Amino acid sequence: MSRFRGVWGTFAHLDATTDTIEQVRDKGVQPTVLSPCPRHEIDHALGDPQSIVPWVGLAFGALGTLIGFAFPAWTASDWVLPVSGKSIVAIPPFAVIGFELTILFAAIHTLIGLSLLAVYDSFKYPIPAAVKRYLRFQRDRFGVVVRCDSAQAEEFAEILRRNGAEEVHVEND
Amino acid sequence: MGVITYDYDAAEGRVVIDEHKGHPGIRSTTYSYAKINDEMLAMLEMPHPSYLLLLLGFVSALGLGAICLSIQVDVGIGYSGISHPIGWGFYITNFVFWIGIGHAGTLISAVFYLTRAPWRTAIYRAAEAMTVFGVMTAGLFPLLHTGRPWLAYWLIPYPNERMLWVNFKSPLLWDVFAVTTYLTVSVLFFMLGLIPDMAILRDEAFRKGKKLKGLLYTLMALNWRGTNHQWVHYMRGYLIFAALATPLVFSVHSIVSWDFAMSSVPGWHTTIFAPYFVAGAIFSGLAMVMTVLIPVRVVFGLEGYITDHVIQSVCRVIIFTSIIVGYAYGTEFFIGYYSGSPYERAIFYYRPFGDMTSWTLLGDHNVTFPQIAFWLMVFCNVIAPIPLWRWKVRNNLVAVWIICGLINVGMWFERFNIVGSSLQHEYNPASWGEYWPTIVETGITIGSFGFFFTLFTLFAKALPPMAIMELKEGTKPPLQNPPKEH
Repeated sequence: MSRFRGVWGTFAHLDATTDTIEQVRDKGVQPTVLSPCPRHEIDHALGDPQSIVPWVGLAFGALGTLIGFAFPAWTASDWVLPVSGKSIVAIPPFAVIGFELTILFAAIHTLIGLSLLAVYDSFKYPIPAAVKRYLRFQRDRFGVVVRCDSAQAEEFAEILRRNGAEEVHVEND
Repeated sequence: MGVITYDYDAAEGRVVIDEHKGHPGIRSTTYSYAKINDEMLAMLEMPHPSYLLLLLGFVSALGLGAICLSIQVDVGIGYSGISHPIGWGFYITNFVFWIGIGHAGTLISAVFYLTRAPWRTAIYRAAEAMTVFGVMTAGLFPLLHTGRPWLAYWLIPYPNERMLWVNFKSPLLWDVFAVTTYLTVSVLFFMLGLIPDMAILRDEAFRKGKKLKGLLYTLMALNWRGTNHQWVHYMRGYLIFAALATPLVFSVHSIVSWDFAMSSVPGWHTTIFAPYFVAGAIFSGLAMVMTVLIPVRVVFGLEGYITDHVIQSVCRVIIFTSIIVGYAYGTEFFIGYYSGSPYERAIFYYRPFGDMTSWTLLGDHNVTFPQIAFWLMVFCNVIAPIPLWRWKVRNNLVAVWIICGLINVGMWFERFNIVGSSLQHEYNPASWGEYWPTIVETGITIGSFGFFFTLFTLFAKALPPMAIMELKEGTKPPLQNPPKEH
């Protein structure tokens, strides 16, 4: 993981956190925010970031549909089992398998996709080790992490303090 | 059991829920984040001796089931009451029943998530666990029913030396795909919901200096930090899961119903089966949720979370599904009569009254298992839930618990009424037969309840039975400058 340089602070209040995010973004820096639960106010302040997870689900769901129809069709053709005058490759009974595999493939790959994206983002947007050791972000505190060079650090630290940060730390690893 | 009040806005013409004030019917939506954390974690402390006693009771039932299961597997399927012409008995009844129990969890966690029902938050984790355990229990029965469970892998389509493929046109194979997909998706959905809560447990364990616990939870939390990057992927993924699980919950029991409906057996070959089974599954699943969660609420003192409003809401869905189930019973009889088929008419006479020898409404007075099952089904599923229409009854925990217990009994007998009766009375009177379960089948049935409740009891102490993260999401956020009252 790349070294972290920048500022981070903790907040007890949601509105103080969102105010800070907006002011940091006004300076042209996209912060990382930690929160005990998802809040739409934070998303709005961050400019409503989007995820590509639904596209992963859609792509693999489509693959599941394809396999769900193609595989039974192939097996029915490989071992032909005629029953009365019924079709060997029959769409209605294979629709059940197609449906189930659509759901199965989409669900499994949605989980894999969001896990890989979360890992990728942890490299792309590193947070300092001290933030990981701070044990109240899962409990009742919000955190704002600003990646910046030493020259900007004090400016951002001041924004955090002005908005009521409980703790402000400047990191220059 | 207090009176529920709402902020009814006459100008808006509806109940107004201000998220900064909390939901009027759910007290936990006014709690602070820290209070929710502490109260949920307190549930995971060392158990009371009564908990261990309860667990012992469930493990004993499970042990009985395990002994009977080993006898059944060792001696063979002939040791059960299943014999020609009744090929499906208690085992398939249990399979259908437990799959149904599993439905409430996905309904609450996925369907009510999409419809944004705020009362689901406190109960969805436990209901989801019930889904996982219910489907696990259900999955044992088809394997057992095959008589040679060690060959169950033959159900999987894989290239083999026999040069054979499974028959994808068989409803029984559809079931294999439906149930395994449902189990997989339910387990993944359950685990996905647990990730942020595992991070909470990790940090709380380290905060209290419990390093070993902290390391265990670190592994289970999968490096969750609660950053906005993680949340955005997580919430989108969760929404996708809910959207995928919603059609799945309706499809699984439909496919289970087609095990019956695709055959040409009188009483089974009917198009009403899919919605009838799904409504019954939701009905029984919600009743089981109440059967389990009402004691949990009382024992852990969770009145602020599983509020009267939550119980009232579940009861309303129970009433709704009870009406559908009752209507389906009536429709079955009407179609049996209206079809003009003597075989259909005969089976729908046989179910309530027995053999048609004397041509009286009382039959031949020789009461068989299907008759007992039928009348218990009607009483427990149609008559017993009627008092829930009254607000006072819905607000009485003891009454709700007893009614939901009766519904569980009634739904098990409904499954037996479907599975057992038709095979006893098919077309040719020369091949009619009678089914009574053996001790081994009864023991395995008791054992299945032991298995389910043992898993649930362990879950209630090992993992947070409520989704802490979602409780926090539902509560009013901490604000420096709260919005002004109008």
